[in-house]
Amino acid sequence: MIVNTRMIHGAMRHIPEDELHAYLDQALSRSQCVEIESHLATCLGCRHERDSIAALRDRTTALLATLAPPRRIVPSYELLSERAATRSARIAGRWRAAAWAASMLLAVGLGWGARSMDSGAPAPEVAADRRDITAVPATTPSSDSTSTPIVSDAAPAIELAARETAARETSKRENPARGNTRAPESPAAPAVAAPAARFQIPDQFPATDQLREPILAEPAGTVLSSGGRLPSESFSGSAGALFRTVSWDRARIERGESVPRIEGLPIMEVQLAGSRGGDSRPLMVVAQQLESGQVIRTIEGPATDVNQLLSSQRSDTSSPWPTMNDGDGIAGGDGTMAVRRGDRILAITAPLPSDSLRAMIRRLNASER
Amino acid sequence: MDELEKLYQTTYGAVVRFLYRKVWDADRAEDLAQEVFMRLFQHRPEKPRAWVFAVAANLARDEARAAIRRRKHLTLLTNDPGQAPSRIAAADEVVEHDEQLAAVQDALGTLTRRDQEVLLLWDAGLSYPEIAQQTGLAIGAVGTTLARARRRLVEAYDRQHSDDSRGHAAHS
Repeated sequence: MIVNTRMIHGAMRHIPEDELHAYLDQALSRSQCVEIESHLATCLGCRHERDSIAALRDRTTALLATLAPPRRIVPSYELLSERAATRSARIAGRWRAAAWAASMLLAVGLGWGARSMDSGAPAPEVAADRRDITAVPATTPSSDSTSTPIVSDAAPAIELAARETAARETSKRENPARGNTRAPESPAAPAVAAPAARFQIPDQFPATDQLREPILAEPAGTVLSSGGRLPSESFSGSAGALFRTVSWDRARIERGESVPRIEGLPIMEVQLAGSRGGDSRPLMVVAQQLESGQVIRTIEGPATDVNQLLSSQRSDTSSPWPTMNDGDGIAGGDGTMAVRRGDRILAITAPLPSDSLRAMIRRLNASER
Repeated sequence: MDELEKLYQTTYGAVVRFLYRKVWDADRAEDLAQEVFMRLFQHRPEKPRAWVFAVAANLARDEARAAIRRRKHLTLLTNDPGQAPSRIAAADEVVEHDEQLAAVQDALGTLTRRDQEVLLLWDAGLSYPEIAQQTGLAIGAVGTTLARARRRLVEAYDRQHSDDSRGHAAHS
């Protein structure tokens, strides 16, 4: 602020009103104050002006003082600080909750999108069959205490197993010295010389344990579908035996826990071969459906019958069927598998992780005790 | 003692007064002042004193807008659009018991918004640079505005007071 109290041609200019206000309000610098005070010492008019402005200032202050609210106790600083801290924490909590919700939504959205991209559309007739099957309520609880938790999406794991099996087979062909040196054809293999009394998991079978969690466990709605027809590769009597389709309950009555099946997959059909020579446990074929819509059959029965069935089906259909050799079993490059136990054979017609296979074999072995 | 605590102890009363002269409701002024200081403790600005009055002015402005909305709503409810109260109801309750208070309040109401703001900020203890920063005026214009506001306030009050005196004399 420039103080306009200067001598101009011997005439003194008086102090403007706003500068006197600023002077009284102590809003001027020290040098400005000195300049004003030196002028006031010599100018009576400005002194009067200063006094009237000071009175005006005091009256204004007094008038405004009447507009004060009634005096109250000032809330403590600690109280207000605490309230402010609480509010800050609450706001931060809201932001954290919002961020968490947003991240969850994002994760769910990404997961849903990835799942949509991964899952291919199944064949229409198969999808219709699956709807029919899953509409039937569950009838049989599991008694397998060794089972592991259910994972509903089995198909990707099985596809992985198939890929891994193919890779292993390719690797074996290219470099037979690496990997499993006990070739199933080898007559010196101990398993061939003295077949195990119980089913054993072949070494060639894909070891998916490191890749995926076990995919099958307690039966989730194990059902028999009367309306669910098998796809075109269904067979009957081709093994030289007369097959009959039985209900799930009937199969359980006849075979108990030894019904060969994969836990957790819906059962489409159970077929029993006619008993030969009074065999109490004839060949049984259980057809189930994978998540992808593919049908997987589990075949268990006398070695002769099973071998006959497998060989006939391999020539009859284009679908993969396992090959049984003279050893304890073999896992086909397409994921099929057959294992021998004494005079009986267990075979499956689609890739299956070893966890599920082990669970099934444990159950079958336990039921034989 | 913390700097903010010191500011709180020395400024709380001034903030309440500043707000009261804008909202004319002691309780509301207290509430708003506490809100101002709670925000201060949360944000901890570099220039807390000027910040406090800037926030207080903003809150008072919001409060005035809300009061106008309430008044419009009441007017609609009573279906009496021609009789909007000259000042908010809380102020009427206050001036009922104090004619001088009403006269000062009315006198203050005759000032322009800018003059009122500068006068009240000065009365709250803000320096010229702080007033200039908050109102957007040049520092040199603060003295001019303050001089005009003081003069108009006193003139309006004297006019109001003499009118009241004549009214009382005529009544008696």
